[in-house]
Amino acid sequence: MEPTNSGTFETLLKRGELIESTSEMTPDYLRELKHTLIVSGDTELISAPAYYLAAKKAPSVNAFMTGIAIIQDELAHAHIAFHILEELGESQEALIFKRDPKAFRYPYAFDVPLESWTELVVANAMYDQAGFCLLGDIHEQCSYGPWKRGLVKVMAEENFHLRNGRNWSKRISQAGGAAKEELQRAIDWMFPLTVEWFGLPDNLKQHSAQLDYRLKGLTNDQLRQQWLSTVVPFMESIGIRVPAHQENSHFVLDYPFPCTFDADAKRWDFKDPCTWDDVLARWRARGPRNAEMVALFQESFAKFQVQV
Amino acid sequence: MGYSRVHANVREYDVFARKARVEPLRQVGSVVAPDDDLAMAYARATYDEERWVEMMIVPRDAVIRLWAPGESES
Repeated sequence: MEPTNSGTFETLLKRGELIESTSEMTPDYLRELKHTLIVSGDTELISAPAYYLAAKKAPSVNAFMTGIAIIQDELAHAHIAFHILEELGESQEALIFKRDPKAFRYPYAFDVPLESWTELVVANAMYDQAGFCLLGDIHEQCSYGPWKRGLVKVMAEENFHLRNGRNWSKRISQAGGAAKEELQRAIDWMFPLTVEWFGLPDNLKQHSAQLDYRLKGLTNDQLRQQWLSTVVPFMESIGIRVPAHQENSHFVLDYPFPCTFDADAKRWDFKDPCTWDDVLARWRARGPRNAEMVALFQESFAKFQVQV
Repeated sequence: MGYSRVHANVREYDVFARKARVEPLRQVGSVVAPDDDLAMAYARATYDEERWVEMMIVPRDAVIRLWAPGESES
């Protein structure tokens, strides 16, 4: 048998081997790997201030502690990504504390303020489910050894966030009345934001270097379907309406995708379809809470630097 | 590469652990710390996904590599 040590980068990749060090990578692979890690690290990192600003509205000390435990997990997950980025030659300090808020690469959804405990638990049920689909795929498929190993912890903990989101969503729905109406309103604006999280549909995305390099295994539409297949049946099972339905083994959206979104009013206009160029422009401009959330950790760091 | 996470004040440590006595130790990750005590604390806090029966850290500069992925035996 051929020793697994031998071979060029391409043959290693084709054989399904793991890449272990920068000396084995092509510059292009290194660039794609860093980009993928930055998106992942930024997403975990920004979920901390986003969840914190909502966890403050927790209905009990117990619930607040659960929120804080989830935030601590998210920071640890961000640390795993940034720690690997350091090994690849990027400064964690520069990436986290010295980057322009608009240069962060997390999904747009986090820029729309989570303002209540209900919105936080819906984020756990839907945003963390999106993270679970994306990271689960990377955990299974990723060709870079250190990241694949680091994701074992991440997957175990994301499970706990999902459970928190689902248990609370069910509880709020069962309470009925105004509580259930608030839950439905949160899902009405957050569901389409999470559908959009998975990016351009496959027919518009010509080519994916991330798939070529096995940094992930599933396409945007496959991941979106996977997410829909868990979220739609769950929401229906607890008596919540979602704008999608199942046809055979496939999930179909009941609204034009994409369409326009008013971030300040947290309202989708299903009667106003738009183009993906419009969506990309909205993402690039970032949303209402971007600067405030990044300032939350960057300002503390700046103060700490002055003190020492 | 412009940046190195190892500099005059910190060392890199590899972290090894196993979940059960029947398992071999395996590498679960790494930490960067200014001394052994902090490195132990970082390893405990960072790699807490299992109830390990054994965990150890090794300064990377104490490891003698015979060969490694991407290199041929010298």
